[in-house]
Amino acid sequence: MRPILLNSCAEATTAAETRFRIDVPITDGRAARIVALDEGAAVVVRRVAEQHWSGARFFTGVDRTPQLNDNRESTDVVLRATDGSQSRLDEQLAGADLVVMIATADDGAKAASAIGDACTLRGIMTAGLILGERREVGGAVSALRPHARVLMVTKDEQDVSEVLTALRA
Amino acid sequence: MLKQEINELLTQTGPATPMGALFRQYWIPALLAEELSEDDCPQVRVKILSERCIAFRDSDGRYGLIDEFCAHRGVSLWFGRNEQSGLRCAYHGWKYDVTGQCIEVPSEPENSNFCAKVRLTSYPLVKVGAILWTYMGDPEKRPALPEFEFVHVPPEQTYTSKRWQESNWLQAFEGGIDSSHVSFLHSGGLRNDPLFKGAKGNEYNLADLKPFFEVAEADGGLFVAARRDAEDGSYYWRITPWVMPSFTLVPPRGDHPIHGHFWVPIDDRNCWVYTFDYHPVRALTAEEVQAMKDGHGVHSRNIPGTYRPQENKDNDYLMDREAQKRDEAFSGIRGIAMQDGSLQESMGPIVDRTRERLVSADVGIIKARHKLRKAAIALRDEGMTPPGVDPAHHRVRSAAIVLPKDDSFIELSREAVAASPGVRQTSV
Repeated sequence: MRPILLNSCAEATTAAETRFRIDVPITDGRAARIVALDEGAAVVVRRVAEQHWSGARFFTGVDRTPQLNDNRESTDVVLRATDGSQSRLDEQLAGADLVVMIATADDGAKAASAIGDACTLRGIMTAGLILGERREVGGAVSALRPHARVLMVTKDEQDVSEVLTALRA
Repeated sequence: MLKQEINELLTQTGPATPMGALFRQYWIPALLAEELSEDDCPQVRVKILSERCIAFRDSDGRYGLIDEFCAHRGVSLWFGRNEQSGLRCAYHGWKYDVTGQCIEVPSEPENSNFCAKVRLTSYPLVKVGAILWTYMGDPEKRPALPEFEFVHVPPEQTYTSKRWQESNWLQAFEGGIDSSHVSFLHSGGLRNDPLFKGAKGNEYNLADLKPFFEVAEADGGLFVAARRDAEDGSYYWRITPWVMPSFTLVPPRGDHPIHGHFWVPIDDRNCWVYTFDYHPVRALTAEEVQAMKDGHGVHSRNIPGTYRPQENKDNDYLMDREAQKRDEAFSGIRGIAMQDGSLQESMGPIVDRTRERLVSADVGIIKARHKLRKAAIALRDEGMTPPGVDPAHHRVRSAAIVLPKDDSFIELSREAVAASPGVRQTSV
């Protein structure tokens, strides 16, 4: 059937027709967890965490010490928040739909693996942002690649905020 | 999601805008050489970066891109006569050369030098490959000519077309670095298109609808890579280079030519999509060129005598619901070019990015926007030359490559993504 009204055909992409698009909020922001995998990344995450976010939670470190582990689940990964408090990874992943791992070096490989596995199990999207010159962060790239569905290598720290803002974190 | 002011900064390219200033740092396509095919041929109206110009080729083969309107009474020089080394206004006979210099005002006395004081704005117009390129920035900062490989291979190895897209340049360009839509929107093309089908890489594409993505900085812009599982502990990588401001290459498939695009703002609601195919080491076959002219691959089939696609918003892009049901065309629209163009135009002339819901797979787009914004601001505030101006940045290629899982795509594919004359493209 051929369209007979202007707004029932492709012509409805004019600026005038754009005014009639439904203007109701679609979803809340993402439930994002941002995790620094090393000390260099922790410095960046502390800075970024001070900005205004819609619910993102920031963690400056990952410990494998089982101090909070009461064996309710097999994971023994503990996340350190920017205020120094600690919580278990599985608790933080409950309700999350995105985990962004930040790295500046390759010493977070084990943490990335634990986080990646836990996210895969729960169907949570993972992203990795590696800060540094490309030729100097090859180890970090290799460490994160298997565990981050999206990986960006950048020497621009601002990209962390840019990505989180774009994702409504 | 972008704030409104950032969306405006990125999408407005007229004079005295930051992004307009950024575009004016580069040589950009102004028209196809075929549009001015011989000396003294009819002049062509060219609106570019929101400036109305007229392009012509004079009796001596020189190209000019000058202000469209006569300095006298503001008449369009499109009605003028291209004759005897100049463009003469049809109203009172004022005549201009390719630099915009007025060389004759018939109403003035024979020995008057009045015309020497009249000069229209003009921009250089230079033929490189099948494209006439212009540079609209400060003449003092005019960079060396473009060195993109597709305009430097022998003519029989390259083919360029263009089409009008009724949307802002940015949403069109963003499609060029958005690898995740290919397995959906263009799935029919991967199976059937004569310029796509038959490659081993297509099997990886169609088998894995959830690729992993990596984004890495390049000197001139970015490399956006999508990886999918291949055999024996290896990944199939498709690497898309972006050279600022708006040049992108599609990763190749098999021995098919390499495709690519250059998006050029006409104004803030329209852009030209320059589309090319080239093969680094062999002539394009007659069948390949015919397929491109017929609108296959990434080209469009245009209304004869125009650069407007036959599938356009006036006819609902010739939507074919039966082809959609048969899975020949995922969206029901024929051809890869207009599958993209139709959806990008459906967003509206300038998409409202305050309302979008990006996901992490869009990180290439997020990074590209950030790079554009940073470059525009650095140019405005510090006069910093942006990436992509240096012709060395143009010498890149797309690549499709299978690599061991543990290896870095960017390190191992360094040679594959460098344009090397006479060297076959890296493709699967």
